Amino acid sequence: MVEVTRRLLRTPQGALGAAVLAVVALVCLFGPLIAPYDPEQMDFLGRFAVPGAHHWLGADQLGRDEMSRLLYGARATVPPALLATLAGTLAGAIVGTLAAFAGGRWDEAIMRTIDAVMAIPGLLIALLVASTLGAGEGGALLAIAIAFAPGMARITRSVALAVRQEDYVAAAIARGETGLRIVFAEMLPNALAPVVVESTIRVAFAVMLMATLSFLGVGAQPPASEWGLMVSDGRGYLHDAPWLVIVPGLAIGITAIGFNLLGDGLRDALNPRGER
Amino acid sequence: MTPLLDIAGLTLDYRTRSGTVRVLDNVSLSVAPGEVLGIVGESGAGKSSLAMAIMGRLAGNARLTGGTIRLGTDDLAAQTARAMRRIRGRRIGMVFQNPATSLNPTLTLGRQIVEVLVRHRGLTAGAAWREAASWLERVELRHAAELMRRYPHEASGGEKQRVAIASAFAPQPELVLFDEPTTALDVITGARVLDLFRRLRAETGVAGLYISHDLGLVARVADRVAVMQRGRIIESELPRRIFAMPAQDYTRRLVDAVPRPQNRLVQDEPASAELLCAEAISVSYGRRRLFRSRSAKGISGLGFSIREGEILGVVGESGSGKSTLARALAGLVARSGEIRLEGVPVTRMGRDYRRAVQIVFQHPDSSLNPRQRVCDLLARPLCLYGGSTGDIPDLLRQVNLPPEYASRWPHQLSGGEKQRVAIARAFAARPRLVICDEITASLDASVQAVTIALLLELRRRYGTAYLFITHDLNLVRQIAHRLLVMRHGTLVDQIAIGTLGTGREHEYTRQLMAASPTPVGEETRT
Repeated sequence: MVEVTRRLLRTPQGALGAAVLAVVALVCLFGPLIAPYDPEQMDFLGRFAVPGAHHWLGADQLGRDEMSRLLYGARATVPPALLATLAGTLAGAIVGTLAAFAGGRWDEAIMRTIDAVMAIPGLLIALLVASTLGAGEGGALLAIAIAFAPGMARITRSVALAVRQEDYVAAAIARGETGLRIVFAEMLPNALAPVVVESTIRVAFAVMLMATLSFLGVGAQPPASEWGLMVSDGRGYLHDAPWLVIVPGLAIGITAIGFNLLGDGLRDALNPRGER
Repeated sequence: MTPLLDIAGLTLDYRTRSGTVRVLDNVSLSVAPGEVLGIVGESGAGKSSLAMAIMGRLAGNARLTGGTIRLGTDDLAAQTARAMRRIRGRRIGMVFQNPATSLNPTLTLGRQIVEVLVRHRGLTAGAAWREAASWLERVELRHAAELMRRYPHEASGGEKQRVAIASAFAPQPELVLFDEPTTALDVITGARVLDLFRRLRAETGVAGLYISHDLGLVARVADRVAVMQRGRIIESELPRRIFAMPAQDYTRRLVDAVPRPQNRLVQDEPASAELLCAEAISVSYGRRRLFRSRSAKGISGLGFSIREGEILGVVGESGSGKSTLARALAGLVARSGEIRLEGVPVTRMGRDYRRAVQIVFQHPDSSLNPRQRVCDLLARPLCLYGGSTGDIPDLLRQVNLPPEYASRWPHQLSGGEKQRVAIARAFAARPRLVICDEITASLDASVQAVTIALLLELRRRYGTAYLFITHDLNLVRQIAHRLLVMRHGTLVDQIAIGTLGTGREHEYTRQLMAASPTPVGEETRT
């Protein structure tokens, strides 16, 4: 683990991604402490204030300070996206490894079901789930996890199929281990590396999907300062106050790029050819 | 006579993250026209790097730091990439280890030879096609015209290697490099390819460099044998003299490690009590799918028994079903037929059976979970079969590994050490029978000898029986009490080792024996 981190920080993408995400993490942790205003404090005289000395990043249609909203909003945006990805990855990885271990008809049945689910675009599934569960952050989180799981299951299965052929799995069967133990102790740890890489890249998607769901009105609800919701709120004033869209949009973009870079770096760091 | 290939003081380094590694250290050798020089050495000795240096096909991180490679009067190390492309194939032919990967799968076999002929001998397509067909006949391939229209996946391993040999010889090169050309083939096919090489050599008078890890094999084809160790050539001699009086300790170890059937390592006879009896064992392979299931026969109708403490050898070509038999007995594949353990029929592969019958696999890299330390690997069987983790140091000592190895990861062990951990894991269950599935096939000859000695020591201590699967007839004749000979998934012969060579063996067993001759210079003693 330490070794992987060291190698990760040695790759240029990994180091840059880690740096970007460190800033994002700091904002999530300490954002409310450094925010100059209460994000929900309205000021009718300061509506659409242009970015300047008073409001560094301007103010929105209700006169709320854009920077404070951004700093508070990080907590509403990034951790749920991470959590959703983690849940989706874990569920997918377990289903995928089980399918690979069971093989035969079980494998076929599981994978065809996943094919069917994957035929529906992720956003549509997320919308469906979120609207069924009712608008809100919890629904959006679950929706994203469900939208991600089939893809992760597919990736994990393809890796786990190769792991299934390894003799240490045969050795475990020959010594009479239970199926669950083989899946969790022998196969999953060896199938996880590419899955971890994929999931870091997926976090970026989750951030954007989260924003999209809020934008479409089934995610976070006003007056929350979730970044996607901020873009959605600001789009009506694109002409007069473009910063209302640009600022949270940039925040989403930078976070997504951070995760993407980290994923690229991890892929290099976990590559066995880099070892020894 | 001026040498055809003359290498002087060749030094080659690989630059890696952890520093520079010297793979060839001041290597000097020469090959006279028409001479075949054999190069033997264990894995990592630098044999393949030497071949690649001659071909000018070194990896990107390789640096030639000194020495010259002369082919006739040309210095190969000083040639441009463009000039080397004309020398490769035209003046130096090469035959690789694995014909499955050295032929282009998208071209017909004919095209692969025709291309070489058009490129290097400037023939027209029609003339090249006729020439290629005649070459395929020279490498003893029947129906050459029909074979030329086939793709590599439609030919057998032996056929493919013959095509590769034909395309190496067809441009009439001065020198042919062979890099372990029979290692990927089964015994009988390999022996025939070797015969072919000797015949072609006599016909064409081509010089050769024959690289192999198998000293016994090199000695049969080469005029002179050079022994490589850690990037150096430590000895160069006539094959007979290498076997009779090796000058270096290392060479002596290599010579001693060549298995000789007359050198029996097991003197005792096993007890008469029957340990395991198998009747009409059949396995069919296939994928059970949701809609259409397909199946193919793996092995069918095998019946045999193993006595307490007996070593039962299983030999046969690749694809004969040896490993399938091992997997059926270990309960890794579904089978039909009856297995009795000490007279009790085994219906379900229960805990008692699994404990009594353990398996060790061919590739130690694959049989140890890379994400578990040695102690975790050994703890599982101990915990399943009533041992305690306190036994781990004893288990390691039993296989001659220091107890400190418990905290190591598999990638920190050498191949032989990994295989010993796998053996320790099998013995953790205190088994009555251990199935050894080609367990020394991926090890160097000297490591193989040590591993075999360890197995015999464990047998002396615990009276364990072995089902010893191998393709190496000479090796199994040293240790087995009886032999099962398999072919195409069936048992063709079941014979006591003592009666081998008395004429009572099956015709196919005799072919196998003929394909595994004893070392040069020692024929008289068999």
